[in-house]
Amino acid sequence: MDNFKNKKDKAIRILSEPKDSKLITHLNSCVHCGLCAESCMYYLATNDEKYIPAKKVDIISSIYQRYCTFTGKYFPVLTGSKELDEETKDEMIDLLFGACTLCGRCTKHCSIGVDISYVVRTGRQMLSEMDMVPATLQSTVNAAVQTGNNMSIPTEEFTDTLAWLEDELKNEVNDPMAAIPLNVTNTNILYTLNPREPKFFPLSISAMAKVFYAAKESWTLSTIMYDVTNYAYFTSNNEEAIIIAQRLYDEMLNLNSNRCILAECGHGSRAFRWEAPNYLRKKFPFEVITAVELLAEYISSGRIKLDKELNKEVMTLHDPCNLVREGGVIEQQRYIMKNTVCNFVEMTPHGTENFCCGGGGGQLAMSEYNERRMKIAEIKAEQIRRTGAKVVVTPCHNCVDQLMQIDNKFKLGVKIKTLAEIVADAIILE
Amino acid sequence: MKFYQLVSFTAFLICLISLSYHFFRLVKLGSPKDYSSKIGNLYSAIPYSFIGAMNPLKKESAYLHYPTYAAGILYHSGTFISFILYFLFLFSFSFSDFLQYILICGLAVSIASGIGIFIKRVSLKKLRYLSCPDDYISNLLVTAFQIFTLLATISESNATYYNIGAALLFLYLPLGKLKHSLYFFAARFHLGYYYGWRGIWPVKNHK
Ligand code: SF4
Ligand code: SF4
Repeated sequence: MDNFKNKKDKAIRILSEPKDSKLITHLNSCVHCGLCAESCMYYLATNDEKYIPAKKVDIISSIYQRYCTFTGKYFPVLTGSKELDEETKDEMIDLLFGACTLCGRCTKHCSIGVDISYVVRTGRQMLSEMDMVPATLQSTVNAAVQTGNNMSIPTEEFTDTLAWLEDELKNEVNDPMAAIPLNVTNTNILYTLNPREPKFFPLSISAMAKVFYAAKESWTLSTIMYDVTNYAYFTSNNEEAIIIAQRLYDEMLNLNSNRCILAECGHGSRAFRWEAPNYLRKKFPFEVITAVELLAEYISSGRIKLDKELNKEVMTLHDPCNLVREGGVIEQQRYIMKNTVCNFVEMTPHGTENFCCGGGGGQLAMSEYNERRMKIAEIKAEQIRRTGAKVVVTPCHNCVDQLMQIDNKFKLGVKIKTLAEIVADAIILE
Repeated sequence: MKFYQLVSFTAFLICLISLSYHFFRLVKLGSPKDYSSKIGNLYSAIPYSFIGAMNPLKKESAYLHYPTYAAGILYHSGTFISFILYFLFLFSFSFSDFLQYILICGLAVSIASGIGIFIKRVSLKKLRYLSCPDDYISNLLVTAFQIFTLLATISESNATYYNIGAALLFLYLPLGKLKHSLYFFAARFHLGYYYGWRGIWPVKNHK
C-alpha cells in the first residue's frame, strides 16, 4: 500500500511541479465541447464515447484538479475531479496506452488548441513513474537499453547481413568498389537504421546504399549505435529516453560525422531530431535531418538522376504522423514522389491532415491491443482503397509494418514500399 | 455607485485578482526551453495560431459542426458584449433607441445560442459522458448573465437582478472551465510556438 502511495506521489508531482507553463495551460483549457471526437480514428471506428480525445485529456486534468486546484480539493464533484486510485490507474492505462497513437490529429482540430497528445504523453509519464507501462512495450525499451537496438540483434548477425547486402550492391551496380561502410570516421554522413531493416526488410538498406553510391556520398553506418528508434519516447520514461538518445549523440561525436541522417522512421526521427536535444538539454553540434530531406536534396541538386518511367504503377503516399504533422517534413516526400513515379495519387485527406496508420504511439509493440489497432485501421484501409493505388509508399518502417497488416486484413492487394526503395528503383547509374 | 453595483464590482475585482494570479503564474513559469534546431518562424506561426489556424475551413471542430460552431461564435460574442455593457452600465451610459434595438436583438440571438448549446449538452449521449456539473453551471450562468443584461438594456428597473447575476458569474468564473477565457490564449500561444518551431505552421500544404 505504501509502495503505491509513493509511486502515486511521484506521479502527482509531475502535475504539481510543472517545469513551465505548457502543462498547466493544456490541463486548464478543455471546455468539453466534444468537437474533437470526429478527428480521432478510435472514436470514428468504434463510435464509443470513451475514445473521444477530450476524455484522454480529462482523465489527467481531473487528477490535476483533485490534487492541485482549490476547486478540485474542496468541491471535487463540481469539476469531476478524480483520485488517482487503482480504478483511475487502470482507466489511464487503457486510454492512454491502449487507445491513442499520439498522432496529434485531434490537437490540430481542437476548438481551443489543447495539445491533446502532449497531455496523453504526460499521462504516460505518470504511469511510467508508477511502473505501469504495459510489459510488451516496456520490453522493447529494455531491449534497446540493454543491447543497443530494440530487436536485440547481435552485432555479428548485423555485420553478416550487411556483408551480404554489400555483395548484392556490388553486383547490382556492377562495381567491385561499391561498399556499405562500417564505423568509418570523419565521413559526411552517419546513417541510422530502424532495426526492422536488418531484421526483416534488408532491401531498404540496399536501396539507401544504392542511393549513396549514386550520389557519391561519404557515409558510414555504425555497428555500435545504428538504431534510430527510441521507444522510451512512447513510454515517456525520460531516464531511459536519455540513455538511448545519448548513445547516438556519442556515436556521432565518436565517428566525427557532419550530418546525422535519420532513417525512414516517424517516431525515431522525431525522437532524435526534436526530443533528444531536450532530453539531453543541449544543442547538437552536428546537423540532424531525415532521410526524406536528404533524398529530396539529392534530387533537387542533381546528385542523383532518376527515370520515373521505371516506376509505372499507380502509387500513393502515407504520411507518418511524427514525421509530418509533428515533424514538419511535409513537402519533401511529395517532391520525391513527383520526380520518381509516373502516377502519384494523394490520399484524402493527406499531409498534416492525414490519418495515422494505427500503428503509432507504440501500438505495434503492444499485442494486447492488436484487435483495437486493426479495428481503427479500417480508416486507413478505406483511404488507400479510394486512391486505386497499387503501391503505398511511406517513409516509416513502423508504418510499413502496420500497412502490410492492413493490406493483409482488408485484402487491398497493394505493395508497401519506403521512399528509398522507389528512389533506388528509379535511379539511373552513370 | 449603488449598493448592488458595489456588490457586483467587488465580485469583479475578486475575479480579476484571481485571473491575474493565473496569468502571472503562467508568465512566471514561462515557455518550455527548446534545445532542438528551430526550422520555422515563430513570428509568423504564433499569429497564425490565433488567426489562420482558427479559420473554420481549417478545423474539423468547425467545418464538421457548422451549427455548433456558429452558435459558439454568437454566444461568445454575446458574452463579450455583455461584459462591455457591464462597465457601460456602471458609468450610467445611455444608448440611442437604435443601438438599444441592435443590442437587444444581438443578445437575444446569443441567448438562444447559449440555450441551444445547453440543450445539445443535455441531449447528446457523447456530451453528457464528457460533462461534469461545472459544464452545465458555466453554461447556465453565462446565459443567465446575458438574459439579465438584455433585461437591463430594456429597463433600468432590472438592475438589481442584473448585478446579482453579474456578481455570481464573476465569483464563479475563476473556479471552473470559464477560466478558458484566459487559458485559451495561452493554449493558442503554446500551439503556435510548438508548430512554429518545427516549421509546421503556418501550414503550406492545404487540405
Ligand atoms: S475540441 Fe478541444 S476543447 Fe473541445 S472537448 Fe476536444 S479537447 Fe476539449
Ligand atoms: S492523438 Fe490521435 S489517437 Fe490520440 S486521441 Fe488524438 S486523434 Fe486520437
